Amino acid sequence: MSFNKLAKQLLPTHFFSNLSTISTKTLIQMNNVWASYDAKNYSLKEITLSIERGTNYAIVGQSGSGKSTLLKLINGMMIPSKGQIKVDYQTPNINNKEFKRAMSKIGYIPQSLGLVKNITVLENVLIGSLPRIGKLNSLLKKFPESEIQEAEKIIKLVGLGGKSERKTYMLSGGEKRRVAIARALMQKPILLLADEIVSELDQVTAREIMDLVADAQQRLNLTAVMVHHDMHLALEYANRVAVIKEGQKILEIGIEGDKIIDFQSGNMSQQEIMELYNSNEP
Amino acid sequence: MNPKNNLIIALVIAGIIAMSYNIDANPAEFVKGIPNLAIVLKEMTEVEPNLFGTAFWSMLETIEMAFIGTVVGVTIALPLSMLAARNLNSKFVYVPLRGILAAARTFPSILWAILFVIMVGLGTFAGVLAIIMYTVGFIAKLQYESIEAVDSDPVEAVNSIGVSKWQLIRHVIIPESAPHLLSQILYMFDYNVRQTSILGLVGAGGIGFYIINYIKFFEYGKAAVFMLVVLITVLIIDFVSVKIRDKYIVKAQKGMEVKI
Ligand SMILES: Nc1ncnc2c1ncn2[C@@H]1O[C@H](COP(=O)(O)OP(=O)(O)OP(=O)(O)O)[C@@H](O)[C@H]1O
Ligand SMILES: [Mg+2]
Repeated sequence: MSFNKLAKQLLPTHFFSNLSTISTKTLIQMNNVWASYDAKNYSLKEITLSIERGTNYAIVGQSGSGKSTLLKLINGMMIPSKGQIKVDYQTPNINNKEFKRAMSKIGYIPQSLGLVKNITVLENVLIGSLPRIGKLNSLLKKFPESEIQEAEKIIKLVGLGGKSERKTYMLSGGEKRRVAIARALMQKPILLLADEIVSELDQVTAREIMDLVADAQQRLNLTAVMVHHDMHLALEYANRVAVIKEGQKILEIGIEGDKIIDFQSGNMSQQEIMELYNSNEP
Repeated sequence: MNPKNNLIIALVIAGIIAMSYNIDANPAEFVKGIPNLAIVLKEMTEVEPNLFGTAFWSMLETIEMAFIGTVVGVTIALPLSMLAARNLNSKFVYVPLRGILAAARTFPSILWAILFVIMVGLGTFAGVLAIIMYTVGFIAKLQYESIEAVDSDPVEAVNSIGVSKWQLIRHVIIPESAPHLLSQILYMFDYNVRQTSILGLVGAGGIGFYIINYIKFFEYGKAAVFMLVVLITVLIIDFVSVKIRDKYIVKAQKGMEVKI
């Protein structure tokens, strides 16, 4: 979508809507969430958003705006200092036994990817199945044949066929991202959280990987929340885009095909929206 | 060079002179002793080749002791290192355990050997126990340090999948700290062979028993045979560990440098 088209749609329909109603379609709900790493500064402020099942939700913002923090809140690695979060009716918290079980269905790909370097691609992907593997077998590194076949299938799907016995440290940046995606898919997730997994890649590879995720998302009917640096990529692939700036959500738009169907902005002027969009021109 | 550095150097030199005086280290004695050394060296050249067989077998016994001590010690050290790692356990587990491990390391093997000779009597068994003791203290420390140094990114990522602690250890911690382990074991074995070679001094078996006895009776030529065998063995072990290290570890460490 070009900027002109976007601007035309934005300008006449400038309104703010309240999102506090929860429907059964909602997978993730945040109400007035604040988060901080230290007592003094809030990395996220007054975040209210709601993500429906099946959505491809993009979060865009500059470095340090709080995008990674938002993802950590959704998968319970971090607890909000204020406000309420529900993910599939549960409150995310890694220290909660019940939510820990739910985490096995959340495929989280951190900004650093978090791959184990000294093991093979296959072994990394199999880690995604660990919550399903019995105690003894997982200590012996004995995976059922069905899981190994599933892992090989996913490895092929992400375009790493023939490389499953390769040590992970030998892979290129793009290949490592594919392994991280494969590990997440191996979890049989209902929710995929991906933190800037294509930011450092060239345009062609970035699109290949985005296509891969979009494809997996449609086939598995999963919800994806993806953090992006590049507004263009977000508009191209997502159904909804939220823009955060200095910890606050300043804009949220819903997209259908080439059309903006829904637009909410807290306190952002047209001028600011234009500047923001232009600043993301490649 | 600035005046401050000069002052520090002057102080260090003054300190060494004062300390040498205090511990009775007189360079003049060293010079006076050189002729004695010449006598010993000359007698050592009169090696008795018929002793090489005995030397070989006692060296083999020494290596066996070091090998058993290293393997058993490492086996005990590994689970302990996981309990002593700060990033895997609570204070109440790792603080006391680290204390015990530090105690095991404080005494060199030869002091442990004296203790075990009193406990189980003279012989190789006491020596093996001493080697085990020191190996446990040493390897456990090196290992809990490399466990603590494991990159936190994969740990966090895999934790977020909702795995158990033991799954995390098996599938992330061990593979990420293992490349160091192999090199540590090789180093330990190398070190243990040298340590075991002198345990005979306190009657805890190994080739050192012959060396100390022949020296006691001024039979330097005989002692020389055994010392030569130790020297050659240590050189061979050194050579072999370098080969193993090159083959398996350098590769892995190249991988370690790759930042994802
Ligand atoms: N572990 C941490 N400890 C303290 N402060 C942190 C920590 N992680 C992030 N922050 C702070 O929180 C704010 C938001 O960080 P966050 O990582 O969410 O930003 P981001 O939008 O993901 O940035 P980037 O695009 O650079 O990844 C920043 O000001 C950052 O300095
Ligand atoms: Mg980030």
